[in-house]
Amino acid sequence: MAHDDADDRIYKVVVNHEEQYSIWPEDRENPAGWRDAGHRGPKDECLAHIARVWTDIRPLSLRQRS
Amino acid sequence: MSETVAEPAPGPTAAGAPAEPGTIAHVVTRRARAHPDRVAVSGPDGTLTYAQLDARANRLARHLRAAGTGPGDTVGLLAHRAAETAVALLGILKAGAAYLALDHRQPAERHRLLLDDAAVRVVLTLGEPDAAGLEGRTVIAPDREPDRSAAAGHAPDPVTVPAGAGHPVYIAYTSGSTGHPKGVCVPHRAVLRLVLGPDYVTIGPDDVFLQLAPIAFDASTLELWGPLLNGGRLVFAPPHDLTPTELAALVHREGVTILWLTAGLFQRVMDLGPDVLAGLRGLRYLLAGGDVLSPAHVRRAVATLPATTVVNGYGPTENTTFTCCHPVTEPPEEGAAVPIGRPIRHTRAYVLDERLEPVPDGETGELYAAGDGLAHGYLGSPGLTAGRFLPDPLSGTPGERMYRTGDLVRRRPDGTLEFVGRADDQVKIRGFRVEPGEVEAALTALEGVARAAVVPRSLPSGGRQLVAHVVGDDLSTLRLRRRLAVSLPSYAVPAFIRCVPELPLNANGKVDRTALAREWTPYERPELNDPHRTPQTETERAVVALWTDHLGIAGIGADDDFFEVGGDSLLAVSIITELGRGYGVEITPLAFYIDPTPAGLARLLERRSAEREDG
Repeated sequence: MAHDDADDRIYKVVVNHEEQYSIWPEDRENPAGWRDAGHRGPKDECLAHIARVWTDIRPLSLRQRS
Repeated sequence: MSETVAEPAPGPTAAGAPAEPGTIAHVVTRRARAHPDRVAVSGPDGTLTYAQLDARANRLARHLRAAGTGPGDTVGLLAHRAAETAVALLGILKAGAAYLALDHRQPAERHRLLLDDAAVRVVLTLGEPDAAGLEGRTVIAPDREPDRSAAAGHAPDPVTVPAGAGHPVYIAYTSGSTGHPKGVCVPHRAVLRLVLGPDYVTIGPDDVFLQLAPIAFDASTLELWGPLLNGGRLVFAPPHDLTPTELAALVHREGVTILWLTAGLFQRVMDLGPDVLAGLRGLRYLLAGGDVLSPAHVRRAVATLPATTVVNGYGPTENTTFTCCHPVTEPPEEGAAVPIGRPIRHTRAYVLDERLEPVPDGETGELYAAGDGLAHGYLGSPGLTAGRFLPDPLSGTPGERMYRTGDLVRRRPDGTLEFVGRADDQVKIRGFRVEPGEVEAALTALEGVARAAVVPRSLPSGGRQLVAHVVGDDLSTLRLRRRLAVSLPSYAVPAFIRCVPELPLNANGKVDRTALAREWTPYERPELNDPHRTPQTETERAVVALWTDHLGIAGIGADDDFFEVGGDSLLAVSIITELGRGYGVEITPLAFYIDPTPAGLARLLERRSAEREDG
């Protein structure tokens, strides 16, 4: 069980229909309902990218109601 | 907004039905219509029927709406355990907002930090309208004027707000490894899935729950909403910290049927004598969890309470109170762990490897939790959220997420899961999650501290405590403790703070925590003639903590003799010098030697401080 410090795999940034962002191993097919959001790289870089583009963690269906 | 304005049809939830849409407020309103005269809440301050609770909460909700609060807002709550607290919580939800409960035992600076982080504008207080840390926010005190009359002047029928199952119920803060606490944002759906038609317990209108956990802590979710969403009765324990004996007596007196205890308290209760434990015989369910359960205490519970189902409840805050539960039907064997069981209804639990693929049964992997209990994520922290809430590759529904718990588990041949350990540094202290990294960040933020390493230490009793190893210039643990006490919750303040010349490094150049844990252990308090007395006053506690740090002895009492516990004259000088500086007074060795106990020193410090103020 890798400690986060030791996670040197390459990830891709993915997003679902609720505009919730996440990361997924770059060499694996996306789970159903998730599409690439453009960025690839080490985990820290992917998370930093997400921190810039995902400004509201509420799911889209909730954001649209308020 | 259709589902929210219309009230779902009244009627009890059929067991096994999926969590119904709507909010906690909708369900409580239905219960109030179905049986208005049933007692909903009792506490040290009185009793409320469902009709009274509902009407009072509706009035408060209207008052909160008039103050500009509604869906999308988070309302702070500062309250002791009392029946009125249920009105406050429900009033916030009926206004469409979420609650952020503050713990009155936590320092004002932490209140400020959490209220800022959650962008809270309005704080409800009960009993303490002038509490520190609320400056610059609208404080509503429904137990006082003018708020009492203002709330009472509103109509008692439900307010219509556009809030549904996806809206947040509460924000629960947990320790963050980078030094900033993380606000877990939990939607109504997650709570409804926990308490409506559950499969780990049955809850009906005759059930009585005890409210004991701090509301800021996610254990309170089951205690509060378990009874109120099922027409049962919620009993608030008195506001002070109950002894295990008082707790057992209260359970008996109030006829509690479902009790949920954190592992440490469960253990202390099970250590009581058979006469006292007999008071728990009316329990239908005794749930314990939040940390690893001691098999010996579980065996004792099963043996002593034949009519009670003992349940090990497991789950991170991010998946709303319980992810897995294990009803103990067979007492655990000697040396065997108590399993955490199977996922509860509307919840999935996966054991995955580093590539996020399932591991074979019996092998250790990391536990991922999915289903209706999932939180939205960490408030205002999309990067942190994305790193822990990952795409769910095993769900039948596209686009779902799963939460990476950081807990290592394995599946046993009988299909239940067993907790093996943590994949990271997180520890539980008295049932609360603590990231040593957060404590290290709090220490290194202090003046004079260059480096700090915080490592947990296991206690013979099964609990854990933190040891801080600190490198810096001209350090005083008295001063460090004073500073930590204003920024960290009390359970995160280390039991021992050691000032050391340097921290050991491993081959990779990182702090060698294993070496720190191995190379330093405190001494146990020796057998003394005088009995151990727990320090009572602020000054006594400060002196005991200082002795603990300097002597490296666990369990020092307020009346312990300095030289009998192992102190010498050199240590005495450094202790009185540090105390003198910290309190701005002068203490001579001679004055110390007259009564060389923490209580004696505390009296001396208080006398000298008073003399200084007098003139």
